[in-house]
Amino acid sequence: MRKWMVVLVVALALLAASAQAKDETPKFKTVEARHFQSSEGVELSPAFGDYFYAELRNELSKAKMATEVIGEGEAVEDADAAKSAVITGTITEYKKGSVVKSALIGFGAGMRSLKMDADLVRRSDKQNLCVIHVHVKVQPRWDEKVMAKFAAKQMVNEMKKALKEGKSS
Amino acid sequence: MAQVGATCLLYLCAAMTFSGTAGAADEPKPTPENTISIKLAEPVPSQKFEPAPKFWITDVTDRSGNAQPMLVLKERGGVFLDKQPTAILKEALEESLKAANLLATNKDSADMTVRLYLFHFGLAQGSGLDFFSKVEFSAMVKNPKTGESQEVKASGTSIARGAIRKKNIQKNVEENLQEALKDSTRNFLRGAQLKEAVNTLWKGSAAPAGNNK
Repeated sequence: MRKWMVVLVVALALLAASAQAKDETPKFKTVEARHFQSSEGVELSPAFGDYFYAELRNELSKAKMATEVIGEGEAVEDADAAKSAVITGTITEYKKGSVVKSALIGFGAGMRSLKMDADLVRRSDKQNLCVIHVHVKVQPRWDEKVMAKFAAKQMVNEMKKALKEGKSS
Repeated sequence: MAQVGATCLLYLCAAMTFSGTAGAADEPKPTPENTISIKLAEPVPSQKFEPAPKFWITDVTDRSGNAQPMLVLKERGGVFLDKQPTAILKEALEESLKAANLLATNKDSADMTVRLYLFHFGLAQGSGLDFFSKVEFSAMVKNPKTGESQEVKASGTSIARGAIRKKNIQKNVEENLQEALKDSTRNFLRGAQLKEAVNTLWKGSAAPAGNNK
């Protein structure tokens, strides 16, 4: 009896995995990620922008959001424009954090924090498909590029979720 | 007093000599084992132009300001390129243009000449957990008949997993750089900037032909 239960659980797990895999068919023909702009007062190194752009494209490819993740400024065939999207965004806030506060107080105090807003827009008619707000907090000792890595991952996950729910906040 | 001064000078000289030799020993040297070859696995498909001009790459200038452009990675005995980055970029673009039938046979028969300025080729500062490669260049696309020119910028990035073993580091860096080269070539050949440049400059040369009718 116990054996059959194990077999049933494994079968259900496999079914769920295959259903999930089927869900991961690309939603778009192409997705273009653009370099994010920084709001006034955001003091991040220029290298951060480049790294975040690369990381975002990497995460988009991994998440299979599109058949092709194209570079900034690449032309798209007119026939594919309706099935293509563009990601633009702004870094709205960056707090460097404090190692002293983090060590003395703890509980999230003195953490390095980054806030970003991103828009996913359909290429053909510029219709906004979703708006994403991302807030990432990391240890103040960590490099800002690690923060970019987390931010890109979180952004793509939120985007996938928003598209799945079909909401446009 | 003079003896103490002389002794100090001797120690200083000895320290400088030994630090110099230690520095030279750390400096990696290119060998067949630590040299990688970067080239496109297959030509990058270009966008379509109507009418299609023939391009010719006249020159590639290195503007990276890198004193050792062939040294990709200094740590772990170093990783070197087998060719200058300028030569690698030129080869990649020519190969892709040729495959798309957009490469002229010589400079005189070209409708558009391209002069490239390479700003970055190699690893860039990443998160420390992975390898981050970047290829960044700018092209001055010129119509030799009218003398008009337009700038086209292109860049390519790639992120690959980090590695601990030297063999894997070399392999990952090679793959990563190849991907960045492919990405930048695609960004140039399929870029809206190139399309705009060709439309602007090519119309200029087509106009007199139209007037002759």
